[in-house]
Parts: sequence; structure tokens; C-alpha cells
Amino acid sequence: MSGIFKQPGAFAITPHKVSVCILLKIYAPPAQISLPFPFSSVAHHNRLGLFLLSLTKSCDDILEPKLDELIHQLRMMSQNWMSTWIIDQLMTRLSSLSSPDDLFNFFIDIRGILGGPDSGAIEDDQIILDLNSNLGIFLRRCVLAFNLLSFEGVCHLLTNIGIYCKEEFSNCPPYEAPSLDDSSSNLETYSEYENMDLENFVYEKVSEEIEARKEANERIPFHLHVPNTLLSLVDDIDVPVDSASKQSEKVRVASPYGDPSSNMLRDDDPSGAVFLRTNWQVQGYLQEQADIIEKNGGAVSLNGFEIVLRQLRKLAPELHRVHFLSYLNSLSHDDYIAALENLHCYFDYSAGTEGLDFVPPAGSNSFGRYEVALLCLGMMHFHFGHPKLALEVLTEAVRVSQQQSNDTCLAYTLAAISNLLFENGISSTARLIGSSYSLFTSIGISLSVQQQLFVLLRGSLKRAESLKLKRLVASNHLAMAKFDLTHVQRPLLSFGPKASMKLSTCPVNVCKELRLSSHLISDFCNESSAMTIDGAFSTAWLRNLPKPTGSLLLCPENGSGSSSNVSQFCAQPTSIPGSVMQVLGSSYLLRATAWELYGSTPLARINALVHATCFADASSSSDTALAYVKLIQHLAVFKGYKEAFSALKIAEEKFLSVSKSQILLLKLQLLHDHALHRGHLKLAQKLCDELGVLASPVTGVDMNLKTEASLRHARTLLAANQFREAAAVAHSLFCMCYKYNLQVENASVLLLLAEIHKKSGNAVLGLPYALASLSFCQSFNLDLLKASATLTLAELWLSLGSSHATRALNLVHGAFPMILGHGGLELRSRAYIVEAKCYLSDTNFCVFDNYEIVIDSLRQASDELQLLEFHELAAEAFYLMAMVYDKLGQLEKREEAAASFQKHILALQNNKNEDDPLVSVL
Amino acid sequence: MSSKESCRSELRIAIRQLSDRCLYTASKWAAEQLVGIEQDPAKFTPSNTRFQRGSSSIRRKYRTHEIAATPIAGVSYVATPVMEEDELVDGDFYLLAKSYFDCREYKRAAHVLRDQTGRKSVFLRCYALYLAGEKRKEEEMIELEGPLGKSDSVNRELVSLERELSMLCKNGTIDPFGLYLYGLVLKQKGSENLARTVLVESVNSYPWNWNAWTELRSLCSTIDILNTVNLNSHWMKDFFLASAYQELRMHNESLSKYEYLLGTFGNSNYIQAQIAKAQYSLREFDQVEALFEELMRSDPYRVEDMDMYSNVLYAKESFSALSYLAHRVFMTDKYRPESCCIIGNYYSLKGQHEKSVMYFRRALKLNKNYLSAWTLMGHEFVEMKNTPAAVDAYRRAVDVDPCDYRAWYGLGQAYEMMGMPFYALHYFQKSVFLQPNDSRLWIAMAQCYETEQLRMLDEAIKCYKRAAACNDREAIALYQLAKLHAELGHPEEAASYYKKDLERMEDEEREGPNMVEALLYLARYYKLQDRFEEAEVYCTRLLDYSGPERETAKSLLRGMRSSQSSLPSMDVERFPP
Repeated sequence: MSGIFKQPGAFAITPHKVSVCILLKIYAPPAQISLPFPFSSVAHHNRLGLFLLSLTKSCDDILEPKLDELIHQLRMMSQNWMSTWIIDQLMTRLSSLSSPDDLFNFFIDIRGILGGPDSGAIEDDQIILDLNSNLGIFLRRCVLAFNLLSFEGVCHLLTNIGIYCKEEFSNCPPYEAPSLDDSSSNLETYSEYENMDLENFVYEKVSEEIEARKEANERIPFHLHVPNTLLSLVDDIDVPVDSASKQSEKVRVASPYGDPSSNMLRDDDPSGAVFLRTNWQVQGYLQEQADIIEKNGGAVSLNGFEIVLRQLRKLAPELHRVHFLSYLNSLSHDDYIAALENLHCYFDYSAGTEGLDFVPPAGSNSFGRYEVALLCLGMMHFHFGHPKLALEVLTEAVRVSQQQSNDTCLAYTLAAISNLLFENGISSTARLIGSSYSLFTSIGISLSVQQQLFVLLRGSLKRAESLKLKRLVASNHLAMAKFDLTHVQRPLLSFGPKASMKLSTCPVNVCKELRLSSHLISDFCNESSAMTIDGAFSTAWLRNLPKPTGSLLLCPENGSGSSSNVSQFCAQPTSIPGSVMQVLGSSYLLRATAWELYGSTPLARINALVHATCFADASSSSDTALAYVKLIQHLAVFKGYKEAFSALKIAEEKFLSVSKSQILLLKLQLLHDHALHRGHLKLAQKLCDELGVLASPVTGVDMNLKTEASLRHARTLLAANQFREAAAVAHSLFCMCYKYNLQVENASVLLLLAEIHKKSGNAVLGLPYALASLSFCQSFNLDLLKASATLTLAELWLSLGSSHATRALNLVHGAFPMILGHGGLELRSRAYIVEAKCYLSDTNFCVFDNYEIVIDSLRQASDELQLLEFHELAAEAFYLMAMVYDKLGQLEKREEAAASFQKHILALQNNKNEDDPLVSVL
Repeated sequence: MSSKESCRSELRIAIRQLSDRCLYTASKWAAEQLVGIEQDPAKFTPSNTRFQRGSSSIRRKYRTHEIAATPIAGVSYVATPVMEEDELVDGDFYLLAKSYFDCREYKRAAHVLRDQTGRKSVFLRCYALYLAGEKRKEEEMIELEGPLGKSDSVNRELVSLERELSMLCKNGTIDPFGLYLYGLVLKQKGSENLARTVLVESVNSYPWNWNAWTELRSLCSTIDILNTVNLNSHWMKDFFLASAYQELRMHNESLSKYEYLLGTFGNSNYIQAQIAKAQYSLREFDQVEALFEELMRSDPYRVEDMDMYSNVLYAKESFSALSYLAHRVFMTDKYRPESCCIIGNYYSLKGQHEKSVMYFRRALKLNKNYLSAWTLMGHEFVEMKNTPAAVDAYRRAVDVDPCDYRAWYGLGQAYEMMGMPFYALHYFQKSVFLQPNDSRLWIAMAQCYETEQLRMLDEAIKCYKRAAACNDREAIALYQLAKLHAELGHPEEAASYYKKDLERMEDEEREGPNMVEALLYLARYYKLQDRFEEAEVYCTRLLDYSGPERETAKSLLRGMRSSQSSLPSMDVERFPP
């Protein structure tokens, strides 16, 4: 708010700052020529300087370190008598401050180490703190803050310094904590904890949480209601015992001050000196936490971080950004109510005008930035899967940002709306957008929803370009690419019958948009956003303090003693911000998806690989998980299930902390495929139901998941030879896809319908479906799917009678290049079998002359099918093989093939009765 | 109810004991109640006449229960023996310490008592330490104001006090006053459950310490907790329950308790003020005003609760009375948050919003958690069109008390003003959740749904229905319901609501455009339904009005006549020429 109770200045002098001042005095004693006393080399001297710089900049915690922590760090910094000397000095000088007058003198003294404004006049070699250097400014601020203190303030400072020192001198708690646990409710114990050492508590909490998670994982791989047979399908994600410790290690690194020496219980006197760092550092800390949450929300423990935030809220009630962090925290842990509350709270207090990213508007805009609140709220509803609410809110955001002429927000809102429309399918939202984005209604033309979306995207892209919002431009390009990928472009205005209707997607456009989006990186190469990264450097440097303890320091004459640190200091990550990397990463993911659809598996795989290797650090964990999913799917299709499952295990371990929905989905998919291939229909049905649960609207609507679930349902029914039911499911799925404009899915649904009719023996009925699917594939350039549709078409023709064998053969041969080049194991073997069948049923084909062609194909097919454990098709291949050998009179080989045939048929039949068959295999 | 005489003697002893322990507020309260007990006419002594207000009309109004000398059936009070003092003769050190304490030199008082072991001395020492800590805490709050707001300073004596008191508690050498202090300390440390049990123990063994009751009340934040608290029945419990009900917004229950208590404490200002508070929450402004006028007469220098009176005067727009009140409290004690609030209200009524904000700010400086000042300041900012500031003020009110429906409502209004109706809905929902029987809240929410941007008319209808169901004073809901149904094309519902609205307007003898609209709609509706008789009634009523509607009514009548006459046989049969 525009300021009830606003205080100027944000720098308070604290005991820790006094110690830093003392260290600064040691670093640059007044009137000293060359190296001051304890330092044996320039390198050592510089190292202390770097350390002090880092102390003033680092932003890895909200609280200033206590004296013992500082001493510990000093010891870490250099491990010889020098550090001991420095520590001694520090302690004696601190403890000599016993009256307010000492403090006054100290600060007058301190001023002496600053160079005068005429610093040109000083001699060489003299060590003097430049007035305008980072450390110089810090010192000046300290002096200023002290001079501004009232006498009460000075007294407080003195008492606090006393406490600060006492804590170090007597490391034992002053008295036993009283035990009042007679009525130990949660609340009570909790508030007890509050007084306890915060960090230790957080660690405990975190590691507890991780333990719990681990345990939960051991017991229950996915849903609670999964029957036991399911549990044993894939060996449980066997978390190695040390993974918990690894995790907690990771968290520990996040705030290094909890390290060994501070293990002792600290004074839990509530009056104990707890001081916030400077505003700048706290904001930096919050920013870092926000980044971590964005990247990998699951890794931040809900309660642990909430406790930190609560403390921060207590210490700095006017720092409203805390509420925003709370919101992010609860958002990443799917706590809807808390997220909603905190979001409202943040914007109520600050009107969106607080935080690092805020640039005060040129004119005095008294309105605040409530449109940002709406945008955030909309995104939140989107995240929680309430598309309708989200759309309402975003519509309001559009309106308000138009009113406030906040173009930036408008651009982001439009992008968010188009994103929303993409993700949730488009059906009945026309009214809302129409009313909000008055462009359409004012022209008076009713556009299809798709066209509206297109206009929306274009508008948002243009707006972003004109506002020079680089990231938004890039992500808008990505959205355009997605649109081009999945939608046929029709002209917006078509007059008369002559208007050309080119009914196909344009891969070139997709490619173009993807390229354009990656231009982003070149924009950022030369930029550096100094402030946050500066803090990050210091934090990183402090974190690595204990590392370079090795031999280099033992030879101080070397001069390059701290070179490793210096290089670390300078060669920190590139200046490209994380968000840019993230956008880039998702462009690679989109590329992979595009190639998947277009049917080039190698390219899809390469792009997914690029993402997994280059962008894994920068992008969010769900993106990374997606890349892994793609790679594993690839493995399953090309290498069989064994490899895929072993890869899945690795992925599950890696994404243990992430919400595992994507990985879980993949697992279910793989298991379902596997079960279908091996003929475990009951199991397949169970898995299908699992998928249905995932897709249930309780957790929000995800159209992709929904289609996936019912597609698999239909396939299960088909495998069980329940044709009518399967057709019904597929039909309703088609209707849904049509309603929500999911054209790409339509192609595969149609193909499925064709398959159903083929299997049920109604080849004539199947033909139109196959043809429709083909034309869908053509207009969306889905080459691989097209090949598989062609194959189905060939099978359909073939089943119409041997007179159509040539036609079928021609179709198969036409599709062969695509299938052999890009198809997976199943598709290839199916193609081989169909080819063989075509030859065999062709009346003109002489088996005796050309049997090798047939046998070769069948052998290929059977080999690949065995990898997949696809018993049904494998049996068919062996059966055909046996027949051919029979014709040829090669009895031995015939017997061999027949035996294999028997084996597969038996496997298929036995599986149905066996209880727990997969355990032995996996 | 135990007899007045026994109450009186209990209170007399209690007052002495409380003031011996420097529990001034409690003894003040007890003394107020002591004087509040009605005198038996038989023992009328001239010295007591001052406090008699036998002529009070208000008092009679609420004197529903006749004074009964015997306990009311079903309620039997546990006779709590009055506590015996352990030291009949106060020690010298105690006397010195008490004088120091009276001069607010707490640390000194505590120091004097450092080696004393008598219960009274121990309590006084602990209490002095506690107060010293509190005083220091308040000072530090100002001193430690950091760049990012006030940091939360704590009472530094709490830890040692808790240690000592828990030790005493274990030894069993603690008296009820010590228990009260222990409860206080525990509550501040956040161990609420333990604090509750300790306080219950304290009030059960010594019920006359009103301080302990108020602490206990603040720990009973829900009705469930209140019901689980195991209290001896004593007449003090009725005071407690009445005020606890009030906190829990169970105003009717609280009112009946107070009325019952009036039977004994007929002259108690406290009860009268509490009744006024409850009535205020029930929005019975006239009664509240009468009650406060009475209170002002009998206790002219009272500042407590007077801010509520000013709210009522504000709502009734009585400028002079408000200014009189403001002047009076200003002269009495200008540095009380209540006084500042009253002055703020006065300026607000005068339309001088900047000044009013200044006084509300002053009130907040005096008491950071003064809830109504935050809300009122929010209103002022709304008036000044400074919505972000208003939102901030309201939000702070909500943070002080998340059950303050007015602040939630204010937040909703502020956002609606900014053209963010959907965002505002969240806040209206909150306020409606807290106060589901207030038609104004439902109407505000309905209007939000109805706005041009949202047009969620079905939801609006639902809200108006709720509003109509809970006694909508301004009679907006019925009219709106009728209009919305008409708009949505539900003629039956629309007609029935218009009819209800019409009946209501007739009852309240109101006229206006709504009346005409209702009549016109009903006339048309019945005509379409071919119920000409009803239609004619409405048309003829319309003829009384001037304007275009009259002409419409005429033409309607004409149309009906002609169609009636064109109707064949039936007419002829009924009315043969």
C-alpha cells in the first residue's frame, strides 16, 4: 500500500555487522604500509577481503550468522595460526565493548580506515578502503546507521553484543528447558519447537519428511488402493538407503550455517539476538527460494520453509513478499486453500508493488497493480485445474489491465489465456473470450473458437514484440508452434466458394516458430543482470569455503593460492538467466514432440536427449521428467520393455521428490502395453482403471490424460474381443475429441475404430474409418501414424479376399520406407507379417520359388516380437512360418516353428490363469 | 441465583483481596458489580441513593426475570468459600512493595519482595515482574522498530516466571491468583491448552477474579472449546458465559444471559453496556442509542465502549449528539483509542476524511490491534478513493481478527469499486460465511454476480434468495429477484416475487417506481394468463399513477374488455343482457 507506517532506510546496525566492521579493520588497518601484520601474503589478504565481501552480499538465509558460525567460517577460510589470531582479535575487541562510549569510540575509529575523497594523494602500497567500493559502502552505511541510532538504540546494540558474545563463550543452554508436556497437543509441541533452534529443527523436519516419503514409497508405489499383485509388477522403487541422506545433504547445502560446529543446542532464550540480514539480502534469499520452488517444488519441504517464512513474517511484518513466497510454497505442494489465502493476502497488502521485479511507474499510479493479482490468481486456478474459474479471472485481468493500460500485464494475460485454451481443450469458452476481447464482437463476425485462439495468439505475440518482452515473445512463438502443429489453418475471413481452403498443417511454420523462439538466447548472451547474480556468487563462494583446504594453501608463497576460488568466483554460470534457459529447454521439448508427431523418431529422440542433458539444471523438474518420459517411451518402442523398465526405475529415483504424475503415467502406460502384449487382460483392465483414476476430474481436468485413459480402455476391450463395447468407447472418445478440437487424437481414434472393425471381421465397415484416419494424418502431416493407418488399410483389404492381395501388398510396400525407417518394433513386425500374408494369399505367388522373402520377413517379425513379448502376433508369425515350411517340406524347421508357436500360444493361455507371473520376468 | 446479600458480601471481600494483589482491573470490575446490585427497598440508606436508578425505563424493559431470592430451578450454585488470607497482618516489606507497585515502580516492588515467602508476597512479586516485563516490551516495540516494520519483542520475564510458577504449581503451594498469573504466562508463551486448564482451575477455586475470566474467554475461540471447559457453577460463570457468547457472535444467547443477570445486578453499567453491544451486533440501533443515553447519564465520564455509541450516532447521522460525545470524551481522556475513534467518526460524518484518518491513525498508534479503527480507516480510504490504502487497512483488520466480517465485506467492496467483481467475490464469500444472516452481505454478493462483466445471473438469484430469506430491511432482494426472473424469462417466479414485493410495500406503506413496475408487470402477466379479474385489479390500481404507465394500463384494460366481449357464449351465459 502506498504507505501507512513506512520507514525510510533499510539498514540496521547489528552485532554481526559490528564484527564485520572489526574484521574490516583487521583487513585494512589505518595508516599501514603494505601488508598488515597477520597476513603472510597478498593472496591471504585478498582471501579475507573476498570473504568479507561475500558476507555482505550472500543471500542464503534470512538471519545473520551468530558469532560461533562466523568463527567457524573464519576457521574454514584459512586453517593456520593466522585465523586463530584474527579470531582472537575479534573476540577481544568485541568483549572490550562494555559501555556505550566504547561503541561511540569504536565507530569513530572505524571511520579512519576509509580513504578520503582525495584518494589519489595516498602512497602506493598503502591499504585503504575505497569510499565507493562495496566494502567501503558497507562500512559507511554501518557508520551512518550507528550515527542515526538513538541512545536507546545504542543501549540495545550493546546488550545484543553482550548476548552475541555470551552465546559463543558459554555454549550450553542457561537452564533446562522446562517440560510442560502434561497436555501435549500438537499445537503446544509446535510452539515449543518454535523457540528451539530453528535450523536444527528444520533439518529434522525435512529429513523426517523425506524419510516419510521414502517409507511411503516403499510401501505404496502409486495408489493406495492398488491390489498387491500390482505392487509386485515392477519392483518397488528401491530407494537406496543413502538417498535420504543425500537429499538431506542437498538441503543442508542450501543453508550451510547449520554445519558441524553449530550442532550444539543453541541458547533458546527468546530474547536471544536474532537479526535479519539486510533487506537486500533477504529479498535475494526469497528470490532464490522462489527459483528453487519453480524449478523443483517438491524439493522444498512445505513445513520447513513455512517455518522460515513465519519467522520472517514475525521479524519483518512489513515485508509482504513473504506472503507471496508462502503462496508459491503452498502452490507447489498443492495446498489450494493456503495458496488462495496467501495470494490474496500478498496483493491486499502490497497491491503488487513490492518485490525485486517491480519498476515504479513513471506517473504516480495510485491504483496499484491489481491486474497482476488477477493474472496470478488465474494462473493459480489453471494450475489447480479449474479452467472455468481461471478463464473468468483472466478475462477480468484482461479488462482491468486494459483499463489501467498495463500493456505488459495484458500481454502476459493473453498468453496465459491461450495457454489455458490449449491445455484444456476448447469447447464452450467462446462466449467468455468473445465478451472480453472485444475485437471480435466489434467487427461483428463470429469466429470459430479455433480462429479466436489464433487471433488471440497473434495479438499477444504482436503485443509482446512491440513491448520488447523477450521471454514472452519466445514463449508466444512456442505457443504458435504448438498451434501450427495441431490446428489446420483456415482463412479468418472467407468470402464465397472460391476462397482457397488448404486443409493441412504446415510443418514449415512450426519449424519457423521454433527457430524464432530460440533467438531468445542470443538476446541474452550479452546481457547480465548484475544484482541477483552478484548475491548468488557470494552465496556460492561462501558455500564452497570448506572445499579448497588442500595443498595449495600450504605453500603461501605460491601466490596462486586462492586462484581456484577466484576462478570459481568469476566463472560462475553464464549470464543467461534461468528463465531463458527454461524457455529454450521447452522449445527443445516441443521439437521432440513435433518430430514425434511427424514421425521422425531419431530427431525426436535427439531433441529429448538435448533437453535432458543441456537443460536439466535450468528447467523445471516436470519438464525434465517429460524429457525422460519421452526417452523411455522411445526405449520401450525400440528396445522392448526390459530396458524401458530399468530406465524407468532410474527416472523414478531421480524424480522421487517431484510430483510423479508424469512418471506414474508413463509407468502405467508401459505396464498396460506390456500386459496387453502378453495377454494379461485382467491386469490390463486394472491398469486402465488406474489411469481412469488419474484422469478423474477430482484433481482438475487434463484432456490429454482423459483421452489417453479412454483410448486405452477401448484397446483393452478390443483385446478382450468385446468389439461392441470397444467401439462404443472409441466412438464416444471420438465425439469428445471432436468437441474439444483435438484433431491429432482424432486420427488415432479413427485408426482404432478401423482396427476394431478389422478384428471383429467387418472389413467393409473398417475401410471408411481407416481412410478417414489416413486423411486426418495427411492433413496434419502425421507420417508415422499414416504409415500405420496404411498398414491397417492393407490388412482390411487383405481380409476382403485374396483378390485384393496385390492392392494390399502395394500399400504395404508404399508404407515400408517410413515403417522401417522410423517405426517401432511392433509396427515393423506387423508390417512384415502383413507383407508375408499378402504374398501367401496372392494366387500368383509361388511359395516354392520365393519362399525366402516370406521366411525372412517372418523371421524378422518373430525376433522383434519376442523382444516385445507380444505373444499373439509372435504366435501368428510362427504359425505362418510353420505353414510355409510345411509347404516346402522342410519338416525339421517346421517342427521348430511349430514348437515356438506352441510356446507362445501356451504362454498366452497360461498367463490368464497364473497369479503372479511377471515377478519372475522382471 | 444466590441472594443479593451473599453476592454483595462475596464481592466486598473479593474487592479487598483483589486490590491487595494489585489486580486493579478485576477489583474495579468487581466494585462496579457490587454497586450494580439493586438495593432492597427495606435497607434503603440515603448514602446509596446516588447509585439508584429506579426510574430507568430501560432497566425495566429488560427486567424480564423477577428477582428471586431462591435459586432458579435446575441451577444450583456451588458455594465457594471465600478464601482465607494466610497473613492476617501484612508484612512491612509487603506494604512497601505495594506502595512501590502503586507508583508503578514494578522492578523495585519485586526487589523488595525478593525473600518473602508468603503467598500474597510471592504473587505480588511475580505479578510485578510480569508487569515490568510488559512495560519494557511495549517500550521496546517502539525502540526496535526496524526498516521492515516492528519486530516482535517479547516479555523477557516470561521464562523465569514460568519456571517459578510451574515449580509452585508442582509443589501445590500455588494459590488461585498464582494460577491466574501462570495461565497468563502460559498463554503468552503460546501453550494455550495448558493455559486453559490452569485458568479453569484458578476460576474454579476463586471465581471473583474477572481478569482470569477474560483471559479464559480469549482462549475459548470456538463453541466446542467453550463447551469442553469444565466450570463450577457460580454466578460469575454467567457473566463469563454471556461475554463468551458475545465473542462467539451468539448474540441472542448472550442477551438472554445478561437479561438474567440483570435480575440481581440491576444497576450494573457493565451489563448495560454489554447489552448495548449485543443489540448493536443485532443492528437494533434505536435501542442501543437509548441504552447509551441512559449510560451517559449515570456514568458521564465513561470512555469504554463509547466508540460503539459513536458508530450508532454515525449511522443515524446525528451530528450534534456525536459532536457532544466527542467533546466529552476528549475532555475526559483524549489519549484513549476509543476517544480517537469517536473523533474520527465525527470528522467522517462531517466529510473531512483526511482528518478522520488522522484520528484513526492515532487510535492505532495507541493500540495497534484496535480492530474497529482499522476497519473504519478502511471506510475512510474508500471515501477518499484511495483504494489500495483501503485494501491494506481492511487486510490489517482481517489479520487482527479473521472473523471480522465487516472488513472482509470492505475488501470485497473495494475490489468491486476497482472493477474487479470476480476477485471481489472471494471476499464477499468470506464475509457471508462468517455472517450468514446478514442480508446486506448477500445483496452485495448478488450485485457482484449481476455486474455487467460477470452476468452470472443464476448465482445472483441464489444470493438474492438468501438475502430475502434473512430479513432484508431495504427490501432490495425481492424486487431484484422479480426483475432477474423476468429478465431470464421465468414469468411465474417473477410474478410471485413481484407480488411479494408489492405486499411488502403495502405493509410498509411505501410508494415509488418499484410499485408501478410491479403493478404493470403483474397486470401484463395476468392478462397473458387470461386471468382478467386479477389483471383488472392491478390495472385499476395503476390508474392512480400519472405518467406513461397510466396510459398503458388504460390500453390494457381496453384490450381486456374487448377480448372479454369477443369471448362467446360464456359471457352471455353469465351476464345475460
